[in-house]
Amino acid sequence: MNIWNISLQNIKSKPLYTFLSVFIASLSIALLLGTQQLKRSFENQIENNLGKIDVVVGAKGSPLQLVLASVLHLDNPTGNISYKEALKIIKNPLIKSAIPISYGDNYKGYRIVGTTHEYTVLYNAELQKGHRVENAMEVILGNSVAQKLNLKIGDTLLSAHGLLENSIEEHDAVLTVVGILKPTQKVIDRLILTNLQSVWDVHNHERKENHEGHDYHDIQDEKEITSLLIRFKSPRGLLTFPRRINERTNMQAALPKYELHKLYEYTSVGFKTISLIAYLILVISCITLFISLYKMVKERAFDLAILRTYGASNFQLIKMVFYEGFIVVFSSFLLGFLLLKIGLRFALYFMKSNNQQNILTALSFQDVLQIAMLILIMVIISVSFAIYPIIKMDVSKILSNEK
Amino acid sequence: MIQTENLTYQYKKGTAIFSFPNITLEKGENLLILGASGIGKTTLLHLLAGLLKPVTGKIYINEVALNSLKNNKLDTFRGENIGLVFQKKHAIQSLNVFDNLKARLLFSNALVTDKKIEIVLAQLGLSELKRNKVSELSEGQLQRLGIALSVIHNPQVILADEPTSSLDDKNCKIVIKLLKNQAKQTNANLIVITHDHRIKACFQNSITL
Repeated sequence: MNIWNISLQNIKSKPLYTFLSVFIASLSIALLLGTQQLKRSFENQIENNLGKIDVVVGAKGSPLQLVLASVLHLDNPTGNISYKEALKIIKNPLIKSAIPISYGDNYKGYRIVGTTHEYTVLYNAELQKGHRVENAMEVILGNSVAQKLNLKIGDTLLSAHGLLENSIEEHDAVLTVVGILKPTQKVIDRLILTNLQSVWDVHNHERKENHEGHDYHDIQDEKEITSLLIRFKSPRGLLTFPRRINERTNMQAALPKYELHKLYEYTSVGFKTISLIAYLILVISCITLFISLYKMVKERAFDLAILRTYGASNFQLIKMVFYEGFIVVFSSFLLGFLLLKIGLRFALYFMKSNNQQNILTALSFQDVLQIAMLILIMVIISVSFAIYPIIKMDVSKILSNEK
Repeated sequence: MIQTENLTYQYKKGTAIFSFPNITLEKGENLLILGASGIGKTTLLHLLAGLLKPVTGKIYINEVALNSLKNNKLDTFRGENIGLVFQKKHAIQSLNVFDNLKARLLFSNALVTDKKIEIVLAQLGLSELKRNKVSELSEGQLQRLGIALSVIHNPQVILADEPTSSLDDKNCKIVIKLLKNQAKQTNANLIVITHDHRIKACFQNSITL
């Protein structure tokens, strides 16, 4: 028998109040941890997908759209740029690498991206099976594509025009799977990669049929790509290069970090609202805990007075009430964690789509600690108010009024 | 043993001042304090238990002056040396009979084994009920639990406040007999305050306030 034990028995003797306190507190804890985790996962996912890209060069239009399309592969591109022009600008000595991206086709909703081998290096994606794209009309698949569509090396596919799944505008050029990438948890997992030549071939083939009479040289000049993903040797490039592109060419240079920061600002309103609701519930649970403890202290005034005649000091009674609060909140924390795990699993199940990678970033120790501290402060506040009657307690008076 | 000198008490300035006769009890002696309601019986009991501080006068329990003890020391002294018996409510509602006795011992340094608890419960006819909740006990059983709680830690002094006023004649006698027996076993002083004249015959020593 010790003070913990008495606290525990006190809690057990009022199951309804305890349940209510624990339930409300765990709900707010789950919400707080949940929003934090989703926010972290969201940011992390996007940051991962940025790779080490400093600047994206593409056709003029919305810079955010350009970044979304070329880096996250979520939106339509702003248009195309001339391959010849692109080759000119990458002669800049500040540029470490420039990866061309070209698309316009999909296979069953998965984007077919014409690029170079360097694109896989950008995401540290290694081949699981097969070999790199060496010739036109060969493709390698991101891991999720291969799994979802159940494709193997040697399989062939017909690309469809546009970025959305459709079978009406199918091209007649046949693409062959030559490699499958290891899973990376990044955007590359849901892409089909090929070389630039393949994309041009698919489209030029049709153009030739439509415009008889163009000679080969014209076609060479007409070659287009969607965008260039550029890395600089030093941050100095960021200062001069984008402005030069924007002012002197008919292309635009967008900074993915800056654009995505703007995107966070738009989307964080939702997170902020949910967080606010979670804090509100936390305040309510704080009040519930206070009422529950205060009621205990008031209703059990005689019990507490008896404990004083047993030799307990005021401080020991306060400890008892604090332990009660602590037990309630600790169980709430455990239940909150459980609710969080179940809730997130459900949420992910319903949100599943091709655009989501559904990889949750684990909460950092610091995040959990921060919320735990907040809750500890909450217990201390609730208990401090609840123990007020103990401090003011007149044992003699309570005992004389026992009837 | 207990000794009091010139005890007075006043609840609020301007209200009546209670003054109490001097009491001297040798080890093992019992005392019945009789008096009508409102005369200050419970006040005297609470003074003896150290729950109230006298305005003037001194209280010695086993030659320790209660006035000289401060806060926690007084709490501990009370927990170890004094056993209180109340009229109706006796125990902590959320604990069962056995755990109440364990809780009684929690704040004193008295070395009491579980076996001793069993013996006391058996003497008071509560062995069967030791795992029961306090709310499941009858009034008579509760009163006996109250006695068990007041003696389990081998106190020097047992103070009983109207222990019989809600009991019928039969139970009244049993309770007084049990209290006297328990006090005798630990060689403690038993002080009973009451307005219940039925028990006057049971005590050799008595004073009327």
